[in-house]
Amino acid sequence: MQPSPELELELRHRLGDEQVASDPLDLYVFGKDAGLVRGEPGLVVFPRNTDEVATIMRLAGRHGVPVVPRGSGTGLAGGAVTTGPHVLLVTTRMNRIGLVDVENRCVWVQPGVINLDLSIHTTPFGLHYAPDPSSQSVCTIGGNVANNSGGPHCLAEGTTVNHVLAMEIVTPDGDILQVGGPAPDPIGLDVRGLMVGSEGTLGIVTDVLVNLLPNPPASRTILLAFSEVEHAAATVSGIIANGLIPAALEMMDQPMTIAVERFANAGFPTEAAAVLIAEVTGHPSAVDAEAELVRRLGASHRATLIRVASDEAERKRIWLGRKSAFGAIAQMNPDYYLHDTVVPRTRLVEAIEQTYAISERHGIPMLNVFHAGDGNLHPLMSFDASIPGVMERVDAAGKDLIEACVAIGGSLSGEHGIGMEKRDYMHLVFDEMDLDAQARIREAFDPGRRLNPGKIVPQGSRCFDFGRPPPVGAWV
Amino acid sequence: MSWVTRDAPRADELSSCIQCGLCLPSCPTFRLTGLETASPRGRLTAMSAVAAGRPVDSRFEEIMGACLQCRACEVVCPSFVPFGRAMEGARAEIAAQTSGVDRRLRRLVTARLLRSRMAVRLGTLAASIAQSSRLDRLAPGRIRGTVAGLRSLKGRPRSIVGRTRAAQGEKRGVAALLAGCVMDAWFGDVHTATVELLAAAGWEVVSPRGQTCCGALAAHDGWADDTRKMASVNMEAFRGMDLVVVNSAGCGAHMKEYDHWVDGGEELATRVADANEVVAEAIADGRLPRLSADGDRVAVQDPCHLRHVQRITDQPRAVLAAAGLTVVEIDPDGRCCGAAGIYSLLEPDMSRRLGSSKAEQVQATGALLVASANPGCEMQLRTYLSELGHTARVAHPVELYWEALQRAEGRAAVR
Repeated sequence: MQPSPELELELRHRLGDEQVASDPLDLYVFGKDAGLVRGEPGLVVFPRNTDEVATIMRLAGRHGVPVVPRGSGTGLAGGAVTTGPHVLLVTTRMNRIGLVDVENRCVWVQPGVINLDLSIHTTPFGLHYAPDPSSQSVCTIGGNVANNSGGPHCLAEGTTVNHVLAMEIVTPDGDILQVGGPAPDPIGLDVRGLMVGSEGTLGIVTDVLVNLLPNPPASRTILLAFSEVEHAAATVSGIIANGLIPAALEMMDQPMTIAVERFANAGFPTEAAAVLIAEVTGHPSAVDAEAELVRRLGASHRATLIRVASDEAERKRIWLGRKSAFGAIAQMNPDYYLHDTVVPRTRLVEAIEQTYAISERHGIPMLNVFHAGDGNLHPLMSFDASIPGVMERVDAAGKDLIEACVAIGGSLSGEHGIGMEKRDYMHLVFDEMDLDAQARIREAFDPGRRLNPGKIVPQGSRCFDFGRPPPVGAWV
Repeated sequence: MSWVTRDAPRADELSSCIQCGLCLPSCPTFRLTGLETASPRGRLTAMSAVAAGRPVDSRFEEIMGACLQCRACEVVCPSFVPFGRAMEGARAEIAAQTSGVDRRLRRLVTARLLRSRMAVRLGTLAASIAQSSRLDRLAPGRIRGTVAGLRSLKGRPRSIVGRTRAAQGEKRGVAALLAGCVMDAWFGDVHTATVELLAAAGWEVVSPRGQTCCGALAAHDGWADDTRKMASVNMEAFRGMDLVVVNSAGCGAHMKEYDHWVDGGEELATRVADANEVVAEAIADGRLPRLSADGDRVAVQDPCHLRHVQRITDQPRAVLAAAGLTVVEIDPDGRCCGAAGIYSLLEPDMSRRLGSSKAEQVQATGALLVASANPGCEMQLRTYLSELGHTARVAHPVELYWEALQRAEGRAAVR
């Protein structure tokens, strides 16, 4: 339902004109995140605190208009894009970092705090916030919670869900609740765990108690290059099989390496078929031994180059290159479509070969960059959407890619969320009963479907939609 | 009709942005407002909306007008989006499609008066009288800050246009110094220092007649035809010079991009150098001396068009270190001070917030000297430092080096 002029007037009255945008050009600009889908909101609001969020929820509810939360807009699956002229609730002005509890290593942060800003803020205490998505210099904690975001360093330290202790949420009716607590394992139902990854469909997160980790005393970043992708993948398996869990284990194929090297000048060997970045952290004596093990395993799998970053500047350049991969792709073509599939680590080579075959079959160039340690692939399709017929080929290639990964035991999404983009692929991994269970959880939180409608759960998931009762033994 | 001029943001420029959003945190206005519409990505999206048929309306003008054109976004962009060029194109469209008294006034100042040495001289005279009679305190709100940031205009050296200075020692070639509009009228001491150091470094220095204002302010405000005229005039004036030295970061950045405006601009760009580059090179070669440390600390401010456009950061620090000063950093991100050409007059609130926070950063260093290689930044810093009651002196790095060199030579002569 379209926001009525009355709703806009009430919001302007309650929040102030500075906190509301409704010009058609503003609505156009807020009609997209970093992905491909576009959907213009009916109104954009910029609350500054929890009470304002509650006010927005109550007013929008009274007028029957759904609300969609958005952070910096770096999502890739359309999670923060409205599926109708809804109210877009932008959290960037809720960017306060609370007092750092150094002893208990935690801090309350508002959802609009930028991920990297948090770690910079806690540096003087020798602490950091572990999840480090490639977009960490931009993306917000609220968005990370919504998508259960990961990042290169989640291999050893886990994703967002492992680092959120408690949160304050505003319900669709405008009630303010706190879920979880400072204890790592809350008693009762773990609503906190349910909220993480729910993409703003269960409530609006307005404050988050995040766990902080001590900065490692030492780290070694090792760059390895290979003339065959198989050798790189075998090295990854070898490292894990040897009982070593590096802080990060990342891989890029040749086309990706060429694109990022042009921007980052990190000394990536552009003639290599695959590049691995391994980072080990911990006690100085341990990291040297672990770096040596990585080196030895790389050498035994015919690495053509093994280089340990000699200083912090070189380490930073390597990570800058890795983390700018998605942006760098525009050097080739104006549009990209970034997938986020997961396969068992042992089947990485197979998955990469499938990627290349699908790329060839549909005539869409694909570049590969992935969290190799987790088996989380990020095949990037590079294309020009303005050429007629290209989008159809991109969609078809994407479908083949997801199906291929699911077929070898993988999943739809590692860390970017389902949003709108992968919503209709959910049936590939969940059957009717599973989807019904998910739809019912959502209904329990938001019976009026006023929060981020049209996301994650495909339409018609609720068995009720077909007029059938849920079968006994449904997945919950 | 969406775009009407040849300068409009081009389709290839707009499509080079894939909306990854990595630029957002580098943008001072996004940082202050949290608004997508006040971010580089949002501005490019708004341009794309117009390219697709939306009108150039007042909201578009507001969104484009809030941009500082600091170009910090270009440094972090992995897709190499030519944001500055696209923004100049968007401004050119706004200039072409809107009218009104304020627009005409802006054109009069940036594209006409700055080209006229007589007009700048008259303005300087008025400012100088206002300064000595303390009438400057009565200046209307918007320009009071600018007036407060001026150097003392008493006893400043005369124009350098038409003057020459012979090379000392083995001659390396002919270096032409851009006189500039306000640099020549208000920053004569910086010119003197630049001329003397170039000569000492082996350059024959000239400041040719026939040159004019570089045109940066006109380009940033969208006066494309005027910008082209000024660029053509300067192309002619600096023909045949081995080196074109510029000691105002904004002017140097613009001249290095004359290829956006006139044929042959690429060739000129190969000869344009910031004064910091030339002096730092001479110090590195041993043509200018490294002076012993005197213990004074200097806070170094990176003008955006030096750091983000010309990508020059090491050279001013090298020049200051060679002057015997201890360089202290004020801001790891090099965020804009909010001067941004005529932005401080057009968007006073945003400019004030940025200026105040920059001044606070300087104050936190405790340094009593601040080096800035751009006239606008220098004035902005002086304005907001004086508001804080901080008595730091603000000067050009090359000027500080020249003063230190003279002091050292004076001491040597006494001995």
